[in-house]
Amino acid sequence: MKRLKLKASAFFFISAAMLMNNAWSEQEYKPDAGFVWKDGAEIYAKVCAYCHEANVGPKILNRELPVAYIRAIVRSGILAMPAFRSSEIDDESLAKLANFISQKASQH
Amino acid sequence: MASKYIALPKGVSEKDFDAAIVKFREILGNDSVLTSAEQLAPYTKTMMPVSDAEHTLSAALLATTVEQIQKIVAVCNQYKVPIWTISTGKNLGYGSAAPAERGQVVLDLKRMNRILEVDKDLAFALVEPGVTYQQLYDYIKEHKLGLWLSMPAPTAIAGPVGNTLDRGVGYTPYGEQFLFACGMEVVLANGEVLRTGMGSMPNSNTWQVFKWGYGPYLDGIFTQSNYGIVTKFGFWLMPAPPAFKPFAIQYQHEEDIVEIVETIRPLRISGVIPNAVVIAHALYEAPVTAKRSDYVSGPGSIPDEAVHRIMKDHKLGIWNVYAALYGTQEQIDVNWKIVMEAFLRSGKAKILTEEEVAEDAAFTYRAKLMCGEMTLTEFSLYNWRGGGGSMWFAPVSQARGSETLKQMALTKQILAKYGLDYSGEFIVGMRDMHHIVDVLYDKTDPEQVKAAYQCFDELLTEFSARGYGTYRVNTAFMDKVAETYGPVQRNIHKTLKKALDPNGILAPGKSGIR
Ligand SMILES: Cc1cc2nc3c(=O)[nH]c(=O)nc-3n(C[C@H](O)[C@H](O)[C@H](O)COP(=O)(O)OP(=O)(O)OC[C@H]3O[C@@H](n4cnc5c(N)ncnc54)[C@H](O)[C@@H]3O)c2cc1C
Ligand code: HEC
Repeated sequence: MKRLKLKASAFFFISAAMLMNNAWSEQEYKPDAGFVWKDGAEIYAKVCAYCHEANVGPKILNRELPVAYIRAIVRSGILAMPAFRSSEIDDESLAKLANFISQKASQH
Repeated sequence: MASKYIALPKGVSEKDFDAAIVKFREILGNDSVLTSAEQLAPYTKTMMPVSDAEHTLSAALLATTVEQIQKIVAVCNQYKVPIWTISTGKNLGYGSAAPAERGQVVLDLKRMNRILEVDKDLAFALVEPGVTYQQLYDYIKEHKLGLWLSMPAPTAIAGPVGNTLDRGVGYTPYGEQFLFACGMEVVLANGEVLRTGMGSMPNSNTWQVFKWGYGPYLDGIFTQSNYGIVTKFGFWLMPAPPAFKPFAIQYQHEEDIVEIVETIRPLRISGVIPNAVVIAHALYEAPVTAKRSDYVSGPGSIPDEAVHRIMKDHKLGIWNVYAALYGTQEQIDVNWKIVMEAFLRSGKAKILTEEEVAEDAAFTYRAKLMCGEMTLTEFSLYNWRGGGGSMWFAPVSQARGSETLKQMALTKQILAKYGLDYSGEFIVGMRDMHHIVDVLYDKTDPEQVKAAYQCFDELLTEFSARGYGTYRVNTAFMDKVAETYGPVQRNIHKTLKKALDPNGILAPGKSGIR
């Protein structure tokens, strides 16, 4: 128990020293861990649907659009549709999103 | 030998750039330094009437920590590599995620996306640059904080840091975003980290509650500028009011803009109507439900006669005012009476509330913007012409009826000369109006590209000749607009630039500053 405590305070010292040049430490915040997408359905609902279910873009669900085509359009954008960078939708999440969109109706 | 890069920064040899890239990879890891054409494709789409090649980046760096950014600027200083910082990167119609000049490296902070603090009692937030409005909205909902966001129309996909740093506007009572900014953390070109205002003092807990700090106020110089890289950003949020009443007011004649503005100004200045009211022309609202091709074909701007048919078919006024009341039901009832009396006086206004127009798509999205709900419906503007071309023409006007009429007429006349339509609106500020015109054109048609460029250039020339300045502009016209504000301001901007960033590594060209 004692050793554990020691270790913890040694770690604290090092990380505090690393930040000393800023004179404040990050510990004042208990931030959330940063954002990651849960799955394809979430991205569809929180990005694509605002246009594709609102008469801005054409319907894209239930058309069995090819996965590669969806991925290409998301990365390049097309006319009124902005492009989305890998920093916004990472490659892995985009693969899930494309699968989600190209699935048959019954699977949504 | 062909370069392995799709572009190179001005004046940097490929050998030096190679060396810089190696160092960037050491700092960030291979996967966070993008250089291939495929990886960079999403950064190259712009809506401006110039070749995207003029704004093609050389690389993108996906940093997530302050320490990484400090190391990156050190490398940039060593090799004189310019970096263009974006937060959420959705500056659509102002340059999108592309840099001001070909070859600049984009520092993309989208992945630096922690919500550091949202204080329910004091109603403020402190976030990193990559946080989107959607992310913050979900966080507030999840933690039941009862706070509202003030957002630009691209809501879900944009974010508070980028929008406020470009001095954008939203539609709630907190619509003039920068008024509600409170405290920034900035990495300077020399690698130092500045916290503005009260944040400069160690152990202070007032960074997000008192804007001014001590001594000259610095936050302003980091907006629309290239003096630093903002890594944390504080701002105030509006407590959700117990009641909210959005409404629309329609007028039938273009000259009625005089009466509209004269009626709204006192209500806005006295706070009876607290939010950033919008006065949208029929052609700004029509694309939500109407197709241009159903009314006109061939070249030339849309004739007034067709606009009147659209108004009739789609139940629009030529001017459509959107505003809202906020507070307790009692407060709203009192203010509603004042608003009704003011607008009904002349007999020209048609007042519509949720009871009449809840189903109307244009009203619905405007109401969402006024209460901080997500929508991207305004992107229907780009289906009007099609072809994905757009520039925001954004002159500032006095909130005075005679002035708005003059600006509208001049804009329409210049647009018509180039065969373009007046898709305009006025956003009512505290004393000003942001006159916002979406100069829409078909970017796939070289003739329209040329016309749009010349048209925009003429708009800037003619407006500045009359003393009308623009508040913000796309990256192709930044120098031109900087010129219109005169040599003294330009010199000061340059002096500050030299002092803070002697090697000129941060976003050269932003607001015409190098
Ligand atoms: C249909 C439509 C409607 C729109 N409506 C509105 C509207 O109502 N109001 C409005 O304001 N805009 C509007 N816009 C324009 C634009 O999309 C928004 O302003 C958007 O918020 C800007 O993108 P962003 O938030 O992702 O910021 P970013 O693109 O991340 O940043 C914008 C700029 O700020 C600077 N910057 C960003 N991050 C940093 C940093 N960390 N440090 C230093 N400098 C930085 C850079 O110069 C950058 O180019 C609209 C666009 C469209 C297409
Ligand atoms: C801001 C609005 C907007 C958003 C957000 C948006 N799109 Fe689009 N999208 C459009 C428009 C408009 C078109 C049609 C463009 C054209 O051809 O005129 C389109 C076209 C497409 C197409 C081609 C459809 C076809 O019929 O061939 C695909 C696929 C697509 N979008 C996928 C997506 C995905 C996936 C997302 C979410 C990551 C998304 N879009 C987000 C507006 C949007």
